[in-house]
Amino acid sequence: MRILIVEDEPDLLAGLAQALREEGYAVDTANNGEDGLYKAENYNYDAIVLDVMMPKLDGWGVLTQLRKTKKTPVLMLTARDQSRDRVRGLDTGADDYVVKPFDLPELFARLRALIRRGANKTTNVIQIGEVKIDTAARNVLLKDKPVELTAREYSLVEFLGLHRGEVVTRTQLYEHLFDESDDTFSNLLDVHVSNVRKKLGAEFVVTRRGHGYCIE
Amino acid sequence: MSIFKSIKWRLQIWYGLILVAVLAALGITAYQMERQELLGRIDNELQHRIGAIAEALHRHGPGPDHPPFGHPPPDQMPDDFHPPDQHEPDGFHLPPQDTLLFDTSDPHHFYFVIYGRDGKLLAQSTNAVNFRPQTLDSRKFLEDQNQPPNLSQDKPSATEAVSPSDERLVVRSLPSGEDIWVGCSIVPELQKLKVITLTLTGVSFVILLFGLAGGWWISSRAIRPVENISAAALKISAGDLSQRINTAETESELGKLATVLNATFARLESAFAQQKQFASDAAHELRTPVSVILTQTQTALGRERQASEYKQTVEACQRAAQRMKKLIGALLELARLDAGQEQMKRLRFDFSKTITDCVELVQPLAEQSGVKILMELSPIEITGDPERFGLVVTNLLTNAIQYNHDGGEVKVATKIENDMAVLVVKDTGQGIQAEDLPRVFERFYRADKSRSSGNAGLGLAISKAIIVAHGGSIDVASEENIGTTFTVRLPA
Repeated sequence: MRILIVEDEPDLLAGLAQALREEGYAVDTANNGEDGLYKAENYNYDAIVLDVMMPKLDGWGVLTQLRKTKKTPVLMLTARDQSRDRVRGLDTGADDYVVKPFDLPELFARLRALIRRGANKTTNVIQIGEVKIDTAARNVLLKDKPVELTAREYSLVEFLGLHRGEVVTRTQLYEHLFDESDDTFSNLLDVHVSNVRKKLGAEFVVTRRGHGYCIE
Repeated sequence: MSIFKSIKWRLQIWYGLILVAVLAALGITAYQMERQELLGRIDNELQHRIGAIAEALHRHGPGPDHPPFGHPPPDQMPDDFHPPDQHEPDGFHLPPQDTLLFDTSDPHHFYFVIYGRDGKLLAQSTNAVNFRPQTLDSRKFLEDQNQPPNLSQDKPSATEAVSPSDERLVVRSLPSGEDIWVGCSIVPELQKLKVITLTLTGVSFVILLFGLAGGWWISSRAIRPVENISAAALKISAGDLSQRINTAETESELGKLATVLNATFARLESAFAQQKQFASDAAHELRTPVSVILTQTQTALGRERQASEYKQTVEACQRAAQRMKKLIGALLELARLDAGQEQMKRLRFDFSKTITDCVELVQPLAEQSGVKILMELSPIEITGDPERFGLVVTNLLTNAIQYNHDGGEVKVATKIENDMAVLVVKDTGQGIQAEDLPRVFERFYRADKSRSSGNAGLGLAISKAIIVAHGGSIDVASEENIGTTFTVRLPA
């Protein structure tokens, strides 16, 4: 899962990015509205964390512009806690609204919910044959036994699981599993796919040659 | 509310009482006049009759030895005239022309009683049945009162008999010694007076009722604005500061009060709104640093880390805490300024000296930003708190440097103008947009909506508060991309 954080307070931006990376997300950052809008329009993020008060272009402006082209789930992050601000945020097209100061666990839970809803899922558990993916606990069970996966491997399984039955292209996977700081031209993806197959069964991930990968 | 404490009720009771008093006085006066008129008419009648009898007696001749009372010839004697058996030494009968004056068949009509000088009853009309012996006592009294030796016609000794109450009596003592009593029943007159009394009372009651009803209506109308005011005030005290008194209904003297109160309420509301905004802005400013601390610490504590990572976290927390410290300091300063100037020092000092110190203080920042500070100072004595003026100057200089560009200038000048000490701080920076210009002195107002500058937007608000507390003023003029000029004027 790839997330964009748009926030102008450097310490908050760095802290959030680090926390989300440690949660296994691929994280891009922007420290002003213009950069944030550019990135949001040019990449397919699974969710965007958007601050309201920013220089150059504020959160409202970013959201209004973004909604003309994209449906990416947006979580507004703001110090304004009045009802009318929340209403305005949600009406402008925000999918959720978190008021500063916030607790990280709550922010994470809201992000998971946003991503889940974006993939049209209602629960945190995805059951695929004998494999059970718990997106809240971020673990995978095979025949009710936990399977050791790296964060990247887990993200791969989760992304394919959320898009079960669809063919997911390599580009999509690169976009959603790696952030702007990763070297996307490596064959890292193939390594992760083969590791997942070793751990969850060779048939778990199907390769559609010339198209991408799929979980059936 | 007790009715004795209610203004409306007190008014009502007060003019109710006045109305009752006025009506009672009028009624009693009217009654008395009517009564006097009625009794006076009767008295005239009585006088007329007593005069007739006296004349008849006189014609009979004076003295008991020549009794004037002879029996009239039977043909002359009125058939209803029966002299009392025991008191009839002589026959006395009314002359025929006077018989019409006494309708002896009617016990309520005029009657007469005549006593001789020795107190003996000489004659009386047959209808004198109501003539009571106690009237004789009154006669005695009357004689004492009216003792002129020669009583003439035009000076009759007459008075009203006290009892019985429904009789009217007049007595005249003749020089020859006889007492003539003439009386009549005043029952019809009393009846008439009773009717008048009832009519007066009835009319008075109707007037009183109308008066009270009208008074109630007027006082209700007069009091209604007060009720409007108190209703509005009640809602306001309950927390709804947007309430206003409906002044359309209060055009009276209370209307002015309502207008004044409305203005007060409006000021209260805006003061409260400002206070609320201030608190909310202050909280808002604290949210971001608190978010930083929470995010940093929660992330750091999520797993075991290396010392360098912890150090980074602690540094970020320190920066956040420094920011909060700065903000709290500014908030406290504003709160102190709001509270009044009791803590404000009143010293006489050279303002240019303070400015020089401030320039030295911000010099490192200016050098770091590549900004040159030019001074055109002349000594100016002003009165006030030097430390706080230092704060103002530092604020203005810091802004002038921060919103300047590399290689820019900041010009600081002092002069005396119209007996005012004037400080001008002029920069060559980015300028302030015209739409932001009127609001730069507002608390927490930042032309640039971010917090990247690290300022909470309180510096200019504090500066203005300090200057205003010293009786001065601060103005700003700005042109985009050319620069901003702040002008401070203080009483020299």
